Amino acid sequence: MSGLRTALASGTRQVGAFSWFVLDFTRAALRYGPPRGQVMREAWRIGIASLPILLTISAFVGTNLALQGFNAFRPLGGGRLVGMFVSLAGVRELAPMIAAAMVAAKAGTEMASQIAVMRIGEQVDALEVMAVNPYAYLVTPRLLGILLVLPALTIISIFFMVLSGYLVSVHQLGLNGSVFLHFASQGIAAVDFLYGALKAMYFGLVICTVSCFFGFTCQRGPEGVGQATNRAVVVSAVVCVCSNYFISEILYGGLS
Amino acid sequence: MSHQAAPDLWVDATSPLRALGRISTFAGRIAIRTVRPPWHGHLVLESLWTTTIRCVVPVIAVCAPFGMVMSLQGLEIFRIFGAQRLLSSLVSVAILRELAPVMASVLVAAQGGSSCTAELATMRIKEELDATEVMAVDSIQYHVVPRFLALTLACPLLYVAGAAAGIAGGFATAVWVKGETAGVYLSELWTLTGPADVWGGVAKTLIFGAIIGLVACYHGFHARGGAAGVGRAVNDTVVHSVVAFIIANYFLTSAFFGGQTL
Repeated sequence: MSGLRTALASGTRQVGAFSWFVLDFTRAALRYGPPRGQVMREAWRIGIASLPILLTISAFVGTNLALQGFNAFRPLGGGRLVGMFVSLAGVRELAPMIAAAMVAAKAGTEMASQIAVMRIGEQVDALEVMAVNPYAYLVTPRLLGILLVLPALTIISIFFMVLSGYLVSVHQLGLNGSVFLHFASQGIAAVDFLYGALKAMYFGLVICTVSCFFGFTCQRGPEGVGQATNRAVVVSAVVCVCSNYFISEILYGGLS
Repeated sequence: MSHQAAPDLWVDATSPLRALGRISTFAGRIAIRTVRPPWHGHLVLESLWTTTIRCVVPVIAVCAPFGMVMSLQGLEIFRIFGAQRLLSSLVSVAILRELAPVMASVLVAAQGGSSCTAELATMRIKEELDATEVMAVDSIQYHVVPRFLALTLACPLLYVAGAAAGIAGGFATAVWVKGETAGVYLSELWTLTGPADVWGGVAKTLIFGAIIGLVACYHGFHARGGAAGVGRAVNDTVVHSVVAFIIANYFLTSAFFGGQTL
């Protein structure tokens, strides 16, 4: 029981520390601009680092969407609805989530471990000694970069998901391609892409602040870096998935 | 210039192949030491316990919202056709066959796999693994095999927990938020699925767990380069294991749940 209590206490303390971190960072970001040229460099790095894995994962998620949708609908006589299932599930929920999860796993962990290594190497303190605000110098460019890149990655992921779903439906399941495309376009509207991009920007905000927070509050030594990296990906994934429900409820649920 | 660039290109192009070879050799070393005594059963159980406890909260916290979103989006669609009673069948198909195995394994990779890598990498950096060898204890048998087995066995356990949480989350949204009937949700739950789907999910997650365990132990055991190396190893573990088992998932789904053509 005492283990639970200490866990709750340390969790509450972390939430408090995180709120202070966000407050400090907001103040710094409003006061000092990001270092010149860094934003585009970060955006490029985050995008290029995450792109190959994102494409692989999206393609294989799309194949499984088609397989499972086909298996689920066939007993009901709705094998043709696979296209609708793939596009609906892919565009509205899975593509933003998958893109966020992969960027958290690749770019988020990289942010956490880079900043953690700088923290234990006292490079962050060195920045402060040089009167450079570490939040504005390290976090702002990463945040702006991820906000620029994650919506784009989400749209790319959507296309790969639907494309691989199409290929599986036509070549493995033997469905008619034009029927697939017809139902796929019935399932979604143009505004869904906008909603997906909005979700992605929110997820980017969560991933960047959470990962940088764990980097800045890293414990000493190599195990501290490992722990910070580990927590960054788990916490940002859990927060993204949990808040995704409420975002979907607002965007699609109609709050009836 | 070009004759200097060519070997680099060759090295880059073949490096995934060489990594695959190294990881296969490592898998063979683990496999031999798993079946050969001395067995460290208590270490396996201890490691299994810590891994499961570490991962159970994230797995439930991710699978439950997934079930809730499935319910939310599914109801929007089924209300168009007036087929709300099919909702729970669809939720159980998606959760049991696909979402719970994948999401539970993603979270095991992110939480259990990466902390396993961090532990092994820290021991490597601090030369504790070399110290074990110096004491004539096989470091793979003592440190790696229990962690590998623990990750392999923890995955199916957490899959069951995640599937239960997902179906319960779907129930919560459908009944308490959207006002569907609880009896219909519960009675339609098993119309399209059966115990075979649960066993299929368990078999899938056993394989995913073995992939995660292998990748995590490989990166942790071969870490180098100080604290930054630990961070890099953890990062590589999460990314490589997720990519590997998502690709494996496609073939397993085709095999278990019938990808046969019409």
